[in-house]
Amino acid sequence: MRSQFAGLYLREVLRTFRNPFVMLMTVVQPFMWLAFFGSGFSKYASQLAAVYGTSNYIEFLLPGVLSTSMLSIGMFGSMSTIQDKRFGFMKRILITPTSKQVIFLSKAFGAATRGLIQIPVMVAAAIVFGVSFHLSALDWAVWVLVLMFAAVGFASMFLAITSSSTDWQTPGVVSNFITMPLMFASAALYPSSGFPGWMQAISEFNPISYTASFGRDLVLGKGIDWLYTGYLAIFAFAMVAIGYFVSARWLKVE
Amino acid sequence: MTTDALAVTSVAIDVRNLSKRYGSAERGVLALDRVSLRIPAGTVFGLLGPNGAGKTTLIKVLTGISDITSGEASVAGFDVRRESLKVRARIGWVAAEVILDDDFSAWENLWLQAKLQDLSDWRERAREILRYFSLDDRRDDKVSTYSTGMRKKLEIALALLHQPAVIFMDEPTIGLDVATRRMLWDIVTGVHKEFGVTVLLTTHYIEEADALCERVGIIDQGRVIAEGTPDELKARVRADLILLETRNGLDPKRIAALAGVEEVRPQGNEWTIRVSSAEAVLPKLLQAVPPEEVRRISVEKPSLETVFLDLTGRRLGQDEPMRDVRKFYMQMRRARR
Repeated sequence: MRSQFAGLYLREVLRTFRNPFVMLMTVVQPFMWLAFFGSGFSKYASQLAAVYGTSNYIEFLLPGVLSTSMLSIGMFGSMSTIQDKRFGFMKRILITPTSKQVIFLSKAFGAATRGLIQIPVMVAAAIVFGVSFHLSALDWAVWVLVLMFAAVGFASMFLAITSSSTDWQTPGVVSNFITMPLMFASAALYPSSGFPGWMQAISEFNPISYTASFGRDLVLGKGIDWLYTGYLAIFAFAMVAIGYFVSARWLKVE
Repeated sequence: MTTDALAVTSVAIDVRNLSKRYGSAERGVLALDRVSLRIPAGTVFGLLGPNGAGKTTLIKVLTGISDITSGEASVAGFDVRRESLKVRARIGWVAAEVILDDDFSAWENLWLQAKLQDLSDWRERAREILRYFSLDDRRDDKVSTYSTGMRKKLEIALALLHQPAVIFMDEPTIGLDVATRRMLWDIVTGVHKEFGVTVLLTTHYIEEADALCERVGIIDQGRVIAEGTPDELKARVRADLILLETRNGLDPKRIAALAGVEEVRPQGNEWTIRVSSAEAVLPKLLQAVPPEEVRRISVEKPSLETVFLDLTGRRLGQDEPMRDVRKFYMQMRRARR
């Protein structure tokens, strides 16, 4: 099982790093958020420093964009799985002593690893936009860990939902139903304190809110929130467990 | 050891009363209908049948990709259902449409296969196999730059890496040009001799089954309707066919009266004459028919084609040529992705 996981996981990672187009797509999307949404909104946001807790909106936005991009990273895992099904590669994998659960794990962690690329690029972009970071090595490490929890959790969620599908369009459709509500009903782009009750209810459970708030606390100098870290760890483990179970039963080959 | 135990270990694939149904019991499709087969270890076995006969389904079931509806099957001595992982560690698979990781080189494809088969000591064997297939000088090139023949070779190399007991080849030469097909035949025969592996291949090409396979099972509509060596199967028909085309009509009675003629089937000016021996009847036939009357004459010796015709009343590959074309385009698309 270890050997198969190592092989498939490395395959995912190598394929990402060798494909310049995929690399570009991975980095460009969150960068666009910072550049366009961030720049477009920053003038008004800076007038509401009391609400945002900072006069630099990019400072507020960066942790939010990082957390929502962990959500879209999850979609790539299920897209790459469907690609393997369509091109028959899934059959090649399964006509070896490789279990469906191992395939699931390699896809989930492979997608999360892809998400790692975004972190240094986004942080560098934020510095260009005038954000200054005063974080310790531990702060950085736990932040990356928290983002990985989110990425693994969301990737597992997508993989579980699209487990039995072989259709190119499924991840897109599923993603629309999940990404929009989770992204906007979270503290990623603006503070959740102004939400109507029902949106606040979603935000209370939304891992994106926790990931965004965790990062924001760090950037604004409030330190590590271990409670949020714990919540996201539980989210990641629960999603991996669900995906593991679902893929064993429902992962379809073709 | 009893002779019985010996007999058991020398069977590579044992299928007993195997059925596979897709969909519900009422409206589903019965893709395999109580198939029984015993394939001795070390043989090249060909499953010959038209498209949609159930050939690919049988491979899917035996490799563990699809589940069994009823019946039993074992491969390399292990039950396909209960010991699937053990089976999958002992089989190799060559797809109809070449399936490789195009972003990877040949060596990296072999590396991944070794990981999936959990092999620690694979490099020497991989080098050996690449040399055998003359791919060693291109091993670090991305496989997307390979020709179709090279891709096919690499796929067989992947299937051989873990020294499997059985290799499944699903329509190994579908959509290939004549030269590549010949090359592949040589490879299959060579691989079988060199690596001592049992090969189960499916095909709907008569020549392929005849040229390549020591034993052939004829499959039609989910049932194996005959099984044996090509010679055994041909001996069942025990007749030659003379196909004669004339310019004008002939009196069928005159031909039927010739010694050795068993049956005359006229179709306009085309005649199918079933005879015990073409060599004995032809001279007499040519005496009976004036030379200027003969437009075309040919002899069809017993072949797997005539066997299939005899068993089903249809010619192999007569139905649905479209499907073949579709399958071919699918393969091309995948190969070019």
